[in-house]
Amino acid sequence: MAKYIIKRILWMIPVMLGVLIIVFTISYLTPGDPVITILGSGYTPEKYAAKAAELNLDKGYFGQLGSYIWGIVTRFDFGKSFYSNLSITGEFARRFPITAALGIFGCIIMVVLGLPLGILSAVKQYSVLDYTLTVIALVLAAMPGFVLAILGLVLFGVRLRWLPITGLDTPKSWILPLATNAMPCVAMIMRQTRTNMLEVIRQDYIRTARSKGLSERTILWKHALKNCLIPIITVTGGMVAMVMAGSIITENIFNIKGMGTYMYAAIMQRDYPIVNGCVLLIAFIVCCVNLIVDICYALIDPRIRARYASSGKKHKKKAHKEVT
Amino acid sequence: MSLLEIKNLSIHFVTRYSDVHAVNGVDLTIEEGKTLGLVGETGAGKTTTALGILRLIQKPQGRYESGEIIFKGKDLLKATDDEMRSVRGNEISMIFQDPMTALNPILTVGDQIAEVIHLHGKCSQAEANERAVKMLEMVGIRAERAGEYPHQFSGGMKQRVVIAMALACNPSLLIADEPTTALDVTIQAQVLEMMADLKKGRGTAMLLITHDLGIVAENCDDVAIMYAGEVIEYGTLERIFHNPKHPYTLGLFGSIPSLDKDEERLHPIEGLMPDPAALPAGCKFHDRCAYATDECASCEQELAEMESGHKVRCARVMKGEI
Amino acid sequence: MTRKKQRDEKLAANLTELTRKQGQWREVLMRLVRNKVGMFGAILCIALVILCIGAPLFTKWDPYEQAVINKFIYPGREHIFGTDDFGRDLWARLIYGGRYSLLIAFGATCFSTCMGVLLGSIAGYFGGRTDLLITRFLDILQAIPSLLLAIAISSALGSGPFNTMLAISMGGIAGGARMMRSVVMSIRGNEYIEAAKATGSSNARTIATHVLPNTIAPLIINASLSIGGNIMSISGLSFIGLGVQAPTPEWGSILAVGKTYIRDFWPLVVFPSMFIAITIFGFNLFGDALRDALDPKLKD
Repeated sequence: MAKYIIKRILWMIPVMLGVLIIVFTISYLTPGDPVITILGSGYTPEKYAAKAAELNLDKGYFGQLGSYIWGIVTRFDFGKSFYSNLSITGEFARRFPITAALGIFGCIIMVVLGLPLGILSAVKQYSVLDYTLTVIALVLAAMPGFVLAILGLVLFGVRLRWLPITGLDTPKSWILPLATNAMPCVAMIMRQTRTNMLEVIRQDYIRTARSKGLSERTILWKHALKNCLIPIITVTGGMVAMVMAGSIITENIFNIKGMGTYMYAAIMQRDYPIVNGCVLLIAFIVCCVNLIVDICYALIDPRIRARYASSGKKHKKKAHKEVT
Repeated sequence: MSLLEIKNLSIHFVTRYSDVHAVNGVDLTIEEGKTLGLVGETGAGKTTTALGILRLIQKPQGRYESGEIIFKGKDLLKATDDEMRSVRGNEISMIFQDPMTALNPILTVGDQIAEVIHLHGKCSQAEANERAVKMLEMVGIRAERAGEYPHQFSGGMKQRVVIAMALACNPSLLIADEPTTALDVTIQAQVLEMMADLKKGRGTAMLLITHDLGIVAENCDDVAIMYAGEVIEYGTLERIFHNPKHPYTLGLFGSIPSLDKDEERLHPIEGLMPDPAALPAGCKFHDRCAYATDECASCEQELAEMESGHKVRCARVMKGEI
Repeated sequence: MTRKKQRDEKLAANLTELTRKQGQWREVLMRLVRNKVGMFGAILCIALVILCIGAPLFTKWDPYEQAVINKFIYPGREHIFGTDDFGRDLWARLIYGGRYSLLIAFGATCFSTCMGVLLGSIAGYFGGRTDLLITRFLDILQAIPSLLLAIAISSALGSGPFNTMLAISMGGIAGGARMMRSVVMSIRGNEYIEAAKATGSSNARTIATHVLPNTIAPLIINASLSIGGNIMSISGLSFIGLGVQAPTPEWGSILAVGKTYIRDFWPLVVFPSMFIAITIFGFNLFGDALRDALDPKLKD
């Protein structure tokens, strides 16, 4: 098990490197010269050379890539903004906690709401409640976060004036951003939970549990729920990626000073070091979440635990064979 | 008084598209400590009857149309859900057909046995765990394997676990639904033998559901033959095996190859069992029966006592025409 | 991840089993038609497509014609959805704009499906080192959330319908390729493939004539379920100014304009939102129904 986790963590290195190279290459190949954009018209060749050297743009593709990687690996330095000259790492430190808080609270909301509602829907299959929840889930799943955000703003912010429109200054102002981030995910988790729950309660071992005289509640919580968690965890993990990417749009709508607005502004200005840094950081988080998801599988399901363990062994056997 | 008496039990599955008559007016009696064999083809309503006794019929489709299930003098169909739960696993327990899927994959086998002991045994969790280990040893599984998960056991071992679980609370009735069908032939004998021993030691009555007449011959005191949701012949093991009367029962025995005679081929019963969603009028077996008359196709047949301890659902047999 | 892959493989096996039997397509169609919710979704989709393709038939207004005196007119008889900040008819802009949204969504779905088929079938068919290389590449691609990837690519490529389509399709490749790979792998072991190889079929020919026909069902499911998400991404990209840009009408970019006037003029926000949501709703319902019809075992 520990071996498996280590293997997975080591595997993250080439994946992150791959992401880095892809992202860097995209920005490298982008037409237009950032130096000219920054200096505007009427620059001298000396000025140009100085600026290019300052921004580390005077080297070739591999030179730039190499020093970029070197900076990140040795100093956790993502470089500097083309325009503001501020360190990107410092800006991350200031902005990331806000986005992370929104994301984490959003995830808590989507699990806390989505899971019980999905179970309820499954247990009361074909009831009015089930139909209502299913319709709500279908409608919510059809609403991109930003559409939900805008409609929420119009209704609660502008028409009813219940909630503030921008910022995160008061506790009340968290409601709309959190809700719009979490709601489509709540819907998806709910549908996934319902589907799995219905599948699980049809299983033979649930009938066995009933034949033992267990109460419906024990059957649900002890026997059924854990068995239907794995696909739900998969979906929840995917949601984290969605929420992180969606933050670019939602933060922009609510004017929240997190990673999303930072990246948005950078995209508009073509400030590539920032865009690259943001994508890398988010990809890193996605990788970590995937790892956590895989570990959760093992914690829940002994069969997967066994497979992880044996995957390590198989590797050893193979190596052994190659030696002999 | 008998331990269990089922009277006129009918169970239908009603959906928007169909009305499946799975069990139609079944009468069965099980005496204390005795074993009743319930024999029939797939789809004859054996499993539904068994699940019906424990009120585990799938809702909302499954419905009790009529009947009484008197267990120790009380009608289970009138019991509350709470009363029913205290019967399940405690006084009546069940062994299912497929041990591969009957155990929860994410709980240790020890836990799954201890759970039922803790629930009905009114004892501490520690004591329940201890007794669970003892149960495992009794079915021939080493104590240290209690902490293992079902996927670490073979099919036969799993069925032993299921049996340990079913017997953990000393039930007075054990329902075994084809307990060995899913197992290898060599393991089948072992498991059956073990079940018989345990049963004898504890005086547990058993309802043994099977389609294997060999198993019936070795384990049962009484036999009921089911066809299309009805009991068509019912009697002591000796009567049924030595003097089968109903044409279907005759057919069943006929389809077993005999070692004594030099026969070229098997003699299966022609045709198929009727669709339980569209049962024919009259005798349900008439279209496959070699002795059927026009009357058989129109008149409902009664399960009538031919001799003491031997009932048959066939008018022609009763009239002595067969 | 492992569990998901396993499920994909199971699904793939079920589906290949299904598609192998000819004549089951009629049954699939029957199941599809009988699914009322799915048919409702299909009707929504068809209605939208007709509305967008035949846009000139459903409005007398030109979506580009500005008339500043007419700006911010509330919905009424003349302009059923009102007018925007340049006095253009909103209904006309929405139904003309739908052409872009739908076309880009279909284009992106087609492109990512084709790429997925190519990568997935190569990986699944050849296995070994090729497979390892491709799956590793997919791992990397999947580490970047698809919307983020689309944003990064389209910020590099610049705006415009074609670039948007390309940017969005990138995020869909990995899913389709994984699906395709497991389908092909499950078919590869079958005897008729061995037989084709034994009779001297070339690899490309074997893939095209024996493997691909068996992968149609899972591909249809994958594609139909991704259209809704693609529409979501397109409007999202346009909304932040990266996709289709003004004055080209596109639902996301219309909504972005509406956001500026959120305090004063609600129609410019509500109607584009409605169009986006109804379209995704319709495609989701239809996609679900199609999946249920093609593989009843997966029904929820």
